[in-house]
Amino acid sequence: MKVFRSHLLLCSGTGCHASGSLAVKKELVSELEKRGLSDEIKIVETGCNGFCAMGPIMVIYPEGVVYMMIKPSDIPELVEEHLVKGRVLERLLYREPITDNIIPTMQDIPFFALQNVRVLRNRGLIDPEKIDEYIARDGYAGMAKALTEMTPDQIVQEVLDSGLRGRGGAGFPTGLKWKFAAASQGDVKYVLCNADEGDPGAFMDRSVLEADPHAVLEGMIIAAKAIGAHSGYIYCRAEYPLAIHRLNVAINQAKEYGLLGKDILGTGFDFDLEIYQGAGAFVCGEETALMTSIEGKRGMPRPRPPFPAVAGLWQKPSILNNVETLANIAQIILRGSAWYASVGTEKSKGTKVFALTGDVNNVGLVEVPMGTPLGAIVYDIGGGIPKGKRFKAAQLGGPSGGMIPIQHLNAPIDYEKVAELGAIMGSGGMIVMDEDSCAVDMARFFMEFCQEESCGKCTPCREGTKQMLEILTNITQGKGKPGDIELLEEMASIIKDTSLCGLGQTAPNPVLSTIRYFRKEYEDHIYNHRCTAGVCSALFKSPCQNACPVEMDIPSYIALIRDGRLEDAYKVLLKTNPFPSVCGRVCDHKCQSKCRRGKTDEPLAIKFLKRFITDNASRPKIEAVPVTRKEKIAVIGAGPAGLTVAKDLAIRGYKVTVFEELSEAGGMLRWAIPAYRLPRDILTKEIDDIRALGVEIKCKTRVGKDIPFAKLESEFDYIYLAPGAHKSQKMGVPGEELNGVYGGVEFLRDFNANETAWTTGEKTLGTKVAVIGGGNSAIDAARCAARLGSDVTILYRRERNDMPAAIEEIIAAEEEGIKIEFLVAPLNIVDKGGKVSGITCRRMKLGEFDRSGRKRPIPIEGSDFTLGIDSIIAAIGQVPDLSFVPKDSGISVNKWGTFDLAEGSASQTTNPKFYAGGDALTGPDTVIGAIAAGHQAAIDIDAAIRTQNNEAPYEEPEEEKIIIPFVLDEDNPEAPQTKMPELHGHERKNSFIEVELGFTLEDALKEATRCLRCDVEVE
Amino acid sequence: MEKICSVTIDGKVVEVSPGQTILEVAREHGIYIPTLCHYSKTTNVGACRVCVVEVEKAKSLVASCCMPVSPGMVIKTDTEKVRASQKLIVELLWASGNHDCLSCEQNGGCELQNLVYWLGIERPRFNIAPPNYKIENTNSMIQRDLSKCVLCGRCIRACNEIQVNEILDFSNRGHFAKVGPAFDADYINSECYFCGECVDACPVGAITFKQARFSGRPWEIKKVKTTCTYCGVGCQIDLNVHNNRIVKVTGNKDYVQPNEGSLCVKGRFGMDFVNDPSRLKTPLIRKEKGGDFTEATWDEAYDFIADSLTEIKKKNGPDSIAGLSSARCTNEENYLFQKFLRAGIGTNNVDHCARL
Repeated sequence: MKVFRSHLLLCSGTGCHASGSLAVKKELVSELEKRGLSDEIKIVETGCNGFCAMGPIMVIYPEGVVYMMIKPSDIPELVEEHLVKGRVLERLLYREPITDNIIPTMQDIPFFALQNVRVLRNRGLIDPEKIDEYIARDGYAGMAKALTEMTPDQIVQEVLDSGLRGRGGAGFPTGLKWKFAAASQGDVKYVLCNADEGDPGAFMDRSVLEADPHAVLEGMIIAAKAIGAHSGYIYCRAEYPLAIHRLNVAINQAKEYGLLGKDILGTGFDFDLEIYQGAGAFVCGEETALMTSIEGKRGMPRPRPPFPAVAGLWQKPSILNNVETLANIAQIILRGSAWYASVGTEKSKGTKVFALTGDVNNVGLVEVPMGTPLGAIVYDIGGGIPKGKRFKAAQLGGPSGGMIPIQHLNAPIDYEKVAELGAIMGSGGMIVMDEDSCAVDMARFFMEFCQEESCGKCTPCREGTKQMLEILTNITQGKGKPGDIELLEEMASIIKDTSLCGLGQTAPNPVLSTIRYFRKEYEDHIYNHRCTAGVCSALFKSPCQNACPVEMDIPSYIALIRDGRLEDAYKVLLKTNPFPSVCGRVCDHKCQSKCRRGKTDEPLAIKFLKRFITDNASRPKIEAVPVTRKEKIAVIGAGPAGLTVAKDLAIRGYKVTVFEELSEAGGMLRWAIPAYRLPRDILTKEIDDIRALGVEIKCKTRVGKDIPFAKLESEFDYIYLAPGAHKSQKMGVPGEELNGVYGGVEFLRDFNANETAWTTGEKTLGTKVAVIGGGNSAIDAARCAARLGSDVTILYRRERNDMPAAIEEIIAAEEEGIKIEFLVAPLNIVDKGGKVSGITCRRMKLGEFDRSGRKRPIPIEGSDFTLGIDSIIAAIGQVPDLSFVPKDSGISVNKWGTFDLAEGSASQTTNPKFYAGGDALTGPDTVIGAIAAGHQAAIDIDAAIRTQNNEAPYEEPEEEKIIIPFVLDEDNPEAPQTKMPELHGHERKNSFIEVELGFTLEDALKEATRCLRCDVEVE
Repeated sequence: MEKICSVTIDGKVVEVSPGQTILEVAREHGIYIPTLCHYSKTTNVGACRVCVVEVEKAKSLVASCCMPVSPGMVIKTDTEKVRASQKLIVELLWASGNHDCLSCEQNGGCELQNLVYWLGIERPRFNIAPPNYKIENTNSMIQRDLSKCVLCGRCIRACNEIQVNEILDFSNRGHFAKVGPAFDADYINSECYFCGECVDACPVGAITFKQARFSGRPWEIKKVKTTCTYCGVGCQIDLNVHNNRIVKVTGNKDYVQPNEGSLCVKGRFGMDFVNDPSRLKTPLIRKEKGGDFTEATWDEAYDFIADSLTEIKKKNGPDSIAGLSSARCTNEENYLFQKFLRAGIGTNNVDHCARL
């Protein structure tokens, strides 16, 4: 036998063919020839390797180094480096999506390492067109055993004992199916293989046929012996030419070797089979339709009974098994049922192959034991969600399956659990969806598929899917009606219950599962005409505007920047946002996460552009609005929510008085967000604009202390409660009461109130500071502490990508020399004479997923360690202080310490005179969220007054019309987001000067030009 | 048939024979289960799902037309679930087509209309969106308005299983599925024999007799059972008579032999001669060579024939006479005819047009 020094295993599945492996091979052959290496190095074309998204893939043995996404132009360098010089070519190696680590060998890449391959055991290892290679890997040994040593009953019993269930979707025990067919009388029986894989996103059967066709043939021969059949068919869709080609090669080779046909292995057993090409009707994957199709008729299902085991193909006893099922058989016979049943769950044994696709980093085929948690497949093997987005749900079971949402990431995926969660196993298609997927639109998409693929035979499936699609389409276009959800539910249940075959019986599943888990999204579409995911484009002008809680007209102000009309742009900002210069700095910019530009390169820097306007346009002049209405309004808390209500109501002619406990207005904007992020004068100007309207702000007035609650209640007609959440949550560890332990917001408030004392060293945190937490408050506290000269370490109990803080804040903190210890939780605080001297922590590891889709930290026993430190800032969350609200006020406060709302209202509390919003309603949230709450409350309070007075609803005064320019760019080349100019590290040190310097005109124009103007409809 | 096991249907324990469907058992015991696609003497396909019933321990509702009974089965035909499902299915069918009864030929005889009424459906909850196919008006016998088609497939089974003409089948998928000859041809351009079996099978107004259009509503029409006059088979037919005119001919599945309700193109569409003004109603005799036919009574005619034959036989012998009988005659008539020629005239010169 010829010996080669290297084997190049080049993937030659359909996926890699599509990504160019044939051209790579050609180049490789000629390169090896050119260098005279053809005798030393062998190229093997294997079947699908499984990691399809990374194709073309090549593994070089004996090293096991795997190269991915190879282009023909890479070949000379690859040969030179790896095969001649013996150096690994790094740029073609696998990079882990989240950590960016390079992993050279296949066995170390989590995508491969975490799988348990049985069905796919030969993938990427053998040349599927060479039967010898299959035989060398124990091929046909199972068949030999079955034919020579076992009776049909024994074979059936072995398969029964293995617990193998049909991998086509229904999960019927394979052994039982065989038992029935074996018991059926008749001299002619058939073994059929269902290779009519048709679920969108499913490609496991194709891969098996392309990579290991003999495994399927071997399974069929064993099945034939078990039931007493002598002929069979593989029903394979014609769209799988490579699979059909390889099957044909395999059939011919097996016949040549006496492994198929007459007198197999001299045992006297005959079995022959042929391939029947399906024409691509989805319904032909249904067993009776498949058989009808082989009979040469229109592929439509027929009623059962009679079942195929009694009267199947041409009314003869038949069994139909899926490709994956059959590919398991030989190993079950060879290694025994106990081996097979050794993995899996109680009722679902063995492994399952999933086609992992959608919004997941590692797209490909994944074989895992039954019972593997969904999260392990999506995150550990699948590498998580691209672009740091949030997992929303996985569609399991193809178009007739269901969605499994984020709260079930721990669900062990087996037949029982999947059914319990409202999905089906199906053939194993797993489509991952991130937060940018709309549940209603997904349901519509799958319903459209089923509607198109319905054969039209039975009424519920034919007409029901069509009508359901119409209702769903209406909902996604804002034409949904009350009652639609209930009608969909009724239809779904009846269609499931009355359809003739599996297609109709499962077609409503996506609708039912999305209603089950995402009913609110349906309601949002129907009643509020809102698609929060930003998918249903009929419901909004642009995705960015749709994502903004106050629906700022982003495309318009960006277009005005481009046109040089900054004053007009400022006016556009002020229409919806009283704090544009604040939001231009500290907004969490949900808009950017939905920016369509982000789908090609990077989203627009919307926040920076907004700031550019406020930095560079002259402020529109504010004039006082005369009080025209008799009702008096009080607002408690001068934060963004309270001030927004005040502004909106003042504009409507109300007299508004704001009561603020602290010495200056602004709430968290003033007292928590540090000046290096939000300079005080910027904030003050925007608050002054609100004062200028006629709003009175009474600072240093705590309700319940400086003014009795009852007095407020009697003097004012309506009262808006927006006291915020200014109390840090306790860590719950011993020593929290010690000197030197601060709450995050308390520290920031103290710092902001006594800046001089802190900066001059009158007050100090000491040299070493530990900040506990991973949110924006923690980073704010840490960056402040660092500016005060301390050596700061953030202790966070999860990993970096789990931190709730904005990523740019985390990066900035790291740049400023702040250390972050991940997977660490405080255990107790070391007491030295009533003052902190250290903190004992415990290391954590990540366990199961919590409801937020992040892995829950679990303490590692014996990993405790103590850090010597001088101060601790615990910024693990904030709660409102609602102690000023009397118990008998009728205003209900819930167990989370926030206000309850009256049923059906978005702002009214349980006492109709009181409204509430901001962090005291929602818990700690964003500035823009608070502003949105303020707008809502103003509308609700005004409407309540007008209803009470029998007045007509408020009509907004006619606004100045601002014409928005539109320039259609013929070409908008890919370009990354424009970087924000910043102060350098050394300039930041010990300084509270604003870090971000603001866009220059050139920056702003460049960035504004990146806008794709997806708000515009071009005729 | 021997009853060998029992099932419970709507609380009643009844004896059944294996192989019977739930629908058959129900009908046998006077329990009404609505149907639409069910068509006797053809395969039970379970397509329309109107006949669903509840069976204890079954994981879903079952179509009674094609579900065989099994011992101990407990069947409920009249539950809330069953009725809700039937209503939705019929609503869906209503909404799927152009079911405007005002001008529909089938109004009053329409099975969909009956279902709607029986189930008490006011209006479908869905947008009515007929496919708007063009009405097929390209032949003089059968009109097809596929916008009224409910895709029950009865015409297809009638064509393929009863007449075995194999002209009709479904094409396209889902809601766009459509019944017709190959390549979506019109009947006239297909191999269709115009037996009209599909018209009889159609439960709605999708396939109708063109000649009967606007000629009488179902409740005005009187059905007269008779024997087709076209050939010796003796097919039993219903002449549909309105205002003393035959408007159409329908088969009747209740009539047994010889045709069990099926007809051929002549018996189906060839009855318009009955009311034709040029139809012969009395015998005509041409008294002299070159002269005109003149009306005569039957007695005159018979006398004329008998006299002439007697004279010819006397003059030229019996073999100068030959008899040719018609395929429209019955066996008995043919027998009598040959007997008349052989025994009466005395010649073996007798034949029948079917042999020609």
